[in-house]
Amino acid sequence: MQPERLYKTWADRKEAAQSYLESVNWPNGQTEAWKFTSLSHLSDVVLNPPKQSSSIARAARLDGEVLNFTAGLAPHLAAASLPAGIIASDISGDKAICHKAFALLPDNHHLTALSASCQTAAVKIEIAGSAKIDTPLILQFTDGKIDEASHPFIFIDIADGAHLHLAELHEGASSLSQPLILVRLGQGSTLDHIKLQDEANHTTHLGLTLFRLDGQANVNSFSVSKGSQITRMETHCFFAAPDAQAAMSAVYLGCDNQHHDITTVVSHEYADCKSRQLIRGVLDDKARGVFQGRVRVAPDAQKTDGQQMSRALLLSRDAEADAKPELEIFADDVVCSHGATVGELDETLLFYLKSRGIDEAEARTMLIDAFLVDTLEEISYQPFADFLRGQVSGWTARQTGVE
Amino acid sequence: MSLLEIKNLHARIGDTGILHGIDLTIGRGEVHAIMGPNGSGKSTLSYVLSGRDGYEVTEGDILLDGESVLEMEADERARAGMFLAFQYPVELPGVGGMAFLRAAVNARKRDAGKDEVDQLEFVKMVRAEAKNLGIKDDMLKRPVNVGFSGGEKKRYEILQMALLKPSMAILDETDSGLDVDALKIVSEGVNLLRSVERGMLVITHYQRLLNHIVPDQVHILAGGRIVKSGDKTLALEVEENGYSGLGDAA
Ligand SMILES: Nc1ncnc2c1ncn2[C@@H]1O[C@H](COP(=O)(O)OP(=O)(O)O)[C@@H](O)[C@H]1O
Ligand SMILES: [Mg+2]
Repeated sequence: MQPERLYKTWADRKEAAQSYLESVNWPNGQTEAWKFTSLSHLSDVVLNPPKQSSSIARAARLDGEVLNFTAGLAPHLAAASLPAGIIASDISGDKAICHKAFALLPDNHHLTALSASCQTAAVKIEIAGSAKIDTPLILQFTDGKIDEASHPFIFIDIADGAHLHLAELHEGASSLSQPLILVRLGQGSTLDHIKLQDEANHTTHLGLTLFRLDGQANVNSFSVSKGSQITRMETHCFFAAPDAQAAMSAVYLGCDNQHHDITTVVSHEYADCKSRQLIRGVLDDKARGVFQGRVRVAPDAQKTDGQQMSRALLLSRDAEADAKPELEIFADDVVCSHGATVGELDETLLFYLKSRGIDEAEARTMLIDAFLVDTLEEISYQPFADFLRGQVSGWTARQTGVE
Repeated sequence: MSLLEIKNLHARIGDTGILHGIDLTIGRGEVHAIMGPNGSGKSTLSYVLSGRDGYEVTEGDILLDGESVLEMEADERARAGMFLAFQYPVELPGVGGMAFLRAAVNARKRDAGKDEVDQLEFVKMVRAEAKNLGIKDDMLKRPVNVGFSGGEKKRYEILQMALLKPSMAILDETDSGLDVDALKIVSEGVNLLRSVERGMLVITHYQRLLNHIVPDQVHILAGGRIVKSGDKTLALEVEENGYSGLGDAA
């Protein structure tokens, strides 16, 4: 990471972002960070800001308070009835807040630059420390049209000692969907987070969710990527104080000629922090999966525990998976491990199941579910676990044809 | 009509011919034993009968209840009544034991147009059968075969057989890896499943299993052919004289 440049104002930042974007255009596999994922197809399309449209009402499939971002535009916050302890405000007019928030995000980074330059919404959500909030907060991203680009920015500030259940549901239909979610976790706060990427099959999804943790904070995050044509899903974790913990696991499910790129960046800047990532991918047809996982351990971050394991399962000969773990460890007293495997369904196991009368489709379903089961067990909040398990098994059933 | 008829069966794995013309007929209620040295093709025969991919029949036929099974997939054959207790049962991490057993039993029920089993009743049934075979409750809760000892895996195979009630059971070296006590328990389990409706093909390398599961006929397999058949005394003969000489009889 390059040293943070100093911008005096939001206008400076935005200008720098624009010139950065002009200089790199869309990444096309030339830069290391985008080695496996090219966005050059975006240079051929005209992307327009979204137009305000009324959202199609959707039955909530997950209980909670829903904030709906239609086509990447901010919801009418005054009308939202949020539980006590959650304050949401539109900060699109308050560039000073955006400016401060962006100082917590990586610089010289394509997605933060895009967001600074093209924002379609800017919302801040504050979670009070005293409040006891049991209802999950659901950020739902829907609608959008071909040739539209949505760039919502949401800054969630969790006070010391507070707790939040947060779900991001990306189910839009814009050509480009670029949500940027920044979550600051105060001291001793906890967050259960899930992200579901299930956008329309013409969408390019470029998501970035960044957690910034104070001391003793704890985040349990889980992402599922199954929609879109091309997905780059970045999850970052920045330990800004000692003794915090992050579990950020993910499952990607690819079919047809989808491309799923799961990129994670974990920055251990202080001692005694723990990070844990289990990544599983299942790829059918001509789908391509990428996992890039960078774990950085700063010289002072002693007693860091950083675990990372990625496995991909190929269901077809034309599917392909790449993994690029990157460990940058500058401290000496650490426990860090990483591993990556790519495999196919084991014919011997399939035969064993079939020899018991279980048909091919059900046998494959059982083995795919078995491949994912321990990863899904990482989700600590039960309603979130049940919801994502349903999403995953629905996908598997559709691919194997047991439905 | 015989339960299982194997006629002039030739089979290969890839380009390698392994079975070179096997004839064998098993009637309902009969227990046949196949003995033979390592590498004689016993497991290959069991896989060919149960329809494993990659095991190609090049000549001959296999009839179950008078119908050829050659065009049937492994799962169809299983639902038609074929069962293989594996020489080396595989571990299925992530596949819960109970869910697996239920899926297997329900697959047969569905095929037979019957209702699926009630979950609670099924658990009771499994526990009862497991107890007979000395299988602990804890084993039933684990993923299929994961962390089981060699002997426990063999017992679990017989448990599956007890639940699936196949018409034609093939037991591939179910005795290997069992100590004397376990051999007794497993044999008793198998003997309980002997019935006038069911045929069994018991594959073994050693005679000792056949003291417990007494066969109606014994066949010696060598070099992919049955080189000698006889009654149970043939097994004792082999025990005394070994396989040497028998192979040359072909
Ligand atoms: N997958 C395979 N590919 C090629 N040859 C095989 C394969 N499996 C077994 N064989 C060969 O087939 C022969 C019979 O093996 P097998 O049926 O396992 O014998 P047994 O069970 O009697 O010990 C042996 O010569 C063995 O090497
Ligand atoms: Mg064998």
